[in-house]
Amino acid sequence: MAHLRRPRPATHALGRRRTLSTPVAAGALVRSLTERLGSDLGNLWTDEDTVEFTVDGARNVEVLTTLRDDPDLEFFMLADAAAVDYGTDAHFEVVYHLFSWKHPAWLRVRARVDRANPRVPTVTGLWEGAMFHEREMFDMMGIIFDGNRDLRRIYMSPDYRSFPQRRDFVLPDDAADSPAAGVNPLERPETWDLTRFNEAPAVTFPPSSERDDAPAEGGEGGEGGETLVDKSRPR
Amino acid sequence: MTKIDPETRIPDPIELDRLEEARLRAAAGLVPARAIGGEYAGFDQVGIPDRPPQTDREREVYSLEEGEMLVNMGPQHPSTHGVMRLVVKVRGEIVVDVDPVLGYLHRGIEKLCENATYTTVLTYVDPMDYLATMHNEHAPAIAFEKLYGIEPPKRAEYIRALVVELNRIFSHGLMMGFLALDMGGITPILYAFINRDEIVDLLSSISGQRMLFNFFRVGGVNFDTNDEFLSRLGTWRGNVLKNIEMNERMITDNEIFRARTMNMGTLTGRDAIALGVTGPNLRASGVPFDVRKAHPYSIYNELDFDVITHESGDSYARYLQRIAEIKQSIHLIDQIIDKMPHGPVQAQVPGIIRPRPGRAYAAIESPRGLYSVYSISDGGPTPYRFRMRDPSFISLQAIPKLMPGRLVADTMAVMASFDPVMGGVDK
Repeated sequence: MAHLRRPRPATHALGRRRTLSTPVAAGALVRSLTERLGSDLGNLWTDEDTVEFTVDGARNVEVLTTLRDDPDLEFFMLADAAAVDYGTDAHFEVVYHLFSWKHPAWLRVRARVDRANPRVPTVTGLWEGAMFHEREMFDMMGIIFDGNRDLRRIYMSPDYRSFPQRRDFVLPDDAADSPAAGVNPLERPETWDLTRFNEAPAVTFPPSSERDDAPAEGGEGGEGGETLVDKSRPR
Repeated sequence: MTKIDPETRIPDPIELDRLEEARLRAAAGLVPARAIGGEYAGFDQVGIPDRPPQTDREREVYSLEEGEMLVNMGPQHPSTHGVMRLVVKVRGEIVVDVDPVLGYLHRGIEKLCENATYTTVLTYVDPMDYLATMHNEHAPAIAFEKLYGIEPPKRAEYIRALVVELNRIFSHGLMMGFLALDMGGITPILYAFINRDEIVDLLSSISGQRMLFNFFRVGGVNFDTNDEFLSRLGTWRGNVLKNIEMNERMITDNEIFRARTMNMGTLTGRDAIALGVTGPNLRASGVPFDVRKAHPYSIYNELDFDVITHESGDSYARYLQRIAEIKQSIHLIDQIIDKMPHGPVQAQVPGIIRPRPGRAYAAIESPRGLYSVYSISDGGPTPYRFRMRDPSFISLQAIPKLMPGRLVADTMAVMASFDPVMGGVDK
């Protein structure tokens, strides 16, 4: 990752800098939200085309029902539902993006979910199509949606046990943590000759003698016969 | 032809099947009040090791009543538009229930993008929806520009709109061919691919790539237009309406095609919204939702166009919707070429960008519907979280809703009318 940290000369952007603080003309929306949601509304914030606020995860169904059914709001369409992991010492968030004809802004509802007990009520009762969104969030982040009648893995196989999009899930070939420290076969000239591929020493770390599963001294496959698949890597 | 006396005529088997439809809908558990019937049959019915069902819905799908059986459709089925498995519960020729099983093409692109710099993310998203590569790059580009606080030059925006509309035309054109192919018509797909290749060559002359274009950059596009692109564009523009109409003549009034698409897979606007169906499929159900109009991005508020809708919401309407949108895109391309300004096509942006911490949401209208990106920056060179909402993934939920009571052979025909691409479904 060293190349990412190399300082680069500050370049002036040719395009006009956007004034990010200019909010969308959403005064009416902000007023209605404040009026209808009252104490549920937290951290109201607007940018150029989005209005966002946070709610408690346990209250998401009540809040989204109000947003969908209130005649002043009418956010009838669930554009997106996604989960965000803010790290092992923080919390999860389930983020809903909503659309309404009445307001010129996307509405982003950020529902805060406890990381130790990631449970949140399902919104499949409001939008049937939230089913695949919630199954994906369960599969990738491990958030449990209470009341969802089909909460099973959607991408990974049913016997899979991890939640790959959590921040503490380390990629096997993550350059920083990888045993092979980012060396890939193409950077190892000895492997280019495929007839001698098996003779090339495997890149392993820590050295095979220090590993727990190191073969006994003098055992078969001691030298040069190591597997290229390194079992010591985190999976 | 002799007239057949309605008293003596032999009833059409499909008509008899339709009479059973209500009963079968109930059997499929689509009526909420009905208790789940049948005995749990197990996963070895579809050739995978048995295990206890994980959810109510799974138990329901794998429970069989007398006369029902489970059939795998896919994952290597030629008409699943990629690699997908449908577990279909059938009673004879009639579908009782459908359960899509996904993940055969899952590459974890969102996770990969969290480990890639903002610039390289645009290359990772290419193979998602591989028939709408330009659209795949468009939404992340907009999101990152919002995060970084930069606006691409005007000419870059026009070139973006131009290539995106070209991409939309070949994607919709292929859908016409695939829909006919899934009903046994071989010829239209060949012509659709001829039309597609013309556009792909056109786009490769501007981007240098044939399928995964990798053309968009944060703050602009990779190349300006060149002579080869412009001359090819002129040739293509001269022939395109003729070519599209030739393909259309083969399909639109074909009697078999009409019989197998009209009143088939009818989705009401209300159901479509609840299911999250967007794009041409939603507009074919009469809901005039088009991101280009609803939340104009790029230069779409400078172009003159209307949102096209069809009322009936069946497969045939979805097909007609595509044709209308092809013609609309050609109309848009004419306007874009007329209005295209001179100037640079790329803002000066460092190779590694570090946006200030923040969140950005960018939604665009892809050929399959609302494609959106939600990106979070923590100030580092890679996105903290990169979320993509792919329209075909969500639209797929309509299939289990529509198919019960229909014939097995129509499953793929209805699915093709939604035009899903598995690269996008599985991310």
